Amino acid sequence: MNLFSFDFIKTTFSNIKSNKQLFSLSVATNFIAFTVLGIFFLLFVNLDILFSSWDKHIQLIVYLDDKISNPNKKKIELLFNSNDKIDSIFFVSRDQAWESFRGKFSSKSNFVTSLNFNPLPDSYTLRFASGPDRLKNIRDFSEKIKNENGVESVEYGEKWISRFEQFMIFLRGFILVFGVVLFSGMILIISNTIKLSIYSRKDEIDLMTLLGATHQYIKVPLLLEGILQGVSGSLLALVSVKLIHLYIVFWFQGSLESVFRGLEFQYLTKPIIFSVISTGIIVGVLGSSISANQFLHRHNSE
Amino acid sequence: MIRFENVGMRYGMGPEVLRDINFHLRPGSFHFLTGPSGAGKSSLLKLMYLMSRPSRGLITMFGHNMATTPRRKLPALRRRIGVVFQDFHLLDHLSAIDNVALPLRITGFNDEKVVEHAGELLKWVGLAERLQARPATLSGGEKQRVAIARAVIGRPSLLVADEPTGNVDPAMGSRLMHLFQEMNKLGTTVVIATHDVTLLKDVEASVMALENGRLSFLSRR
Repeated sequence: MNLFSFDFIKTTFSNIKSNKQLFSLSVATNFIAFTVLGIFFLLFVNLDILFSSWDKHIQLIVYLDDKISNPNKKKIELLFNSNDKIDSIFFVSRDQAWESFRGKFSSKSNFVTSLNFNPLPDSYTLRFASGPDRLKNIRDFSEKIKNENGVESVEYGEKWISRFEQFMIFLRGFILVFGVVLFSGMILIISNTIKLSIYSRKDEIDLMTLLGATHQYIKVPLLLEGILQGVSGSLLALVSVKLIHLYIVFWFQGSLESVFRGLEFQYLTKPIIFSVISTGIIVGVLGSSISANQFLHRHNSE
Repeated sequence: MIRFENVGMRYGMGPEVLRDINFHLRPGSFHFLTGPSGAGKSSLLKLMYLMSRPSRGLITMFGHNMATTPRRKLPALRRRIGVVFQDFHLLDHLSAIDNVALPLRITGFNDEKVVEHAGELLKWVGLAERLQARPATLSGGEKQRVAIARAVIGRPSLLVADEPTGNVDPAMGSRLMHLFQEMNKLGTTVVIATHDVTLLKDVEASVMALENGRLSFLSRR
């Protein structure tokens, strides 16, 4: 008989109907667990977007030594031009830099206007082509260029980028570990719910066995019940995370935009939504299989 | 077809409730099993409908040695046996017609035909008006008739009935016995455990008697 045959589905719903409270309790527990996981995913998705948007604004500034020779300068320019990952190259002379600096800070500090020499060096601002390896390309090229003769220093906000990257790695790891703990917990919950459901129907299962029902016939409705518990919990959680997302967008989108350079607070991505639902199915199948197999194994040994 | 050789049975570590049971039931034969309460009738029937396993001896069912038959083959063998339990074993959340239809549904029969066939059988046992009734609303006799209809719906090779006429009036009792005889004529082996000696007079059958777990034949046919 087909897994989704009408008979199995009918039996599944009849089982759920006769164990409404137990089923609801399991769905509610799964819902809470998935919601917590979903909130972490929401945080992760938006931090990732934020990081990507910062990544787009990152540019490499190469400061030149004041005493750089013309051949060294040519050599450096040649290195820039030969790198096809560099989109654009802007030369900023020390005078232009000083003008720009004075324009920005003279009103805020007397110190700037009181300086009677230009402390800034000549520099190149390099923009790299966008793509997933953009940051890596910047990092690799900066490592290559910083030891060239005539280069005083390179700058692309390396320290804070590294810190943020480390934070994202930590968050990813945390979600993974936390997810595994929740996953195991949810399997345990569904497994125990199905176990209670099986024991409440022990007489019925005994009778079905005597009438010649196969293990598959007894197991499939239990598996479907477990899947329904997992999927219902995950779908409800996705709805609740969506509500949280809408709440944040409604009340805090303006502040987020101004603080984080036009960040649009996003809902979970499609792959994450798909993963949450799939996890619900897997949790349901594993949880119910464990209990059903245990019961049928014991039943056979009697 | 069904052969018991030196079969003994005990529950857990308790004393043997069946001792040295030997018999052979031919296909299409009709048997009564009698004996006082506690003699082991229900235990013997449980061995026949494959609910329990013997603690010793050899049981052969439909040509299969039950000691070596793999578990995965048991459902198919059980589907060849119709059982009328003494306490009916009806499912409370199913209607009378759904209870009767259960063995065919388990086998995967077309639902429309299953319902039609179950309905006909219930009409035949006098429950035409009670097709959708839940077991909780049925009397003892009505439950018994539903249980009998469920046992015979799959046209089993072996029909095992534990006190099948215990809760019905004499007229319905003889009607049910007639049903068992009709099935027997079609080739079903019938084993009926009963206290009712009047049944033994009306039907041509061999009579097995159990006393203190030992079986003897009062008459053979």
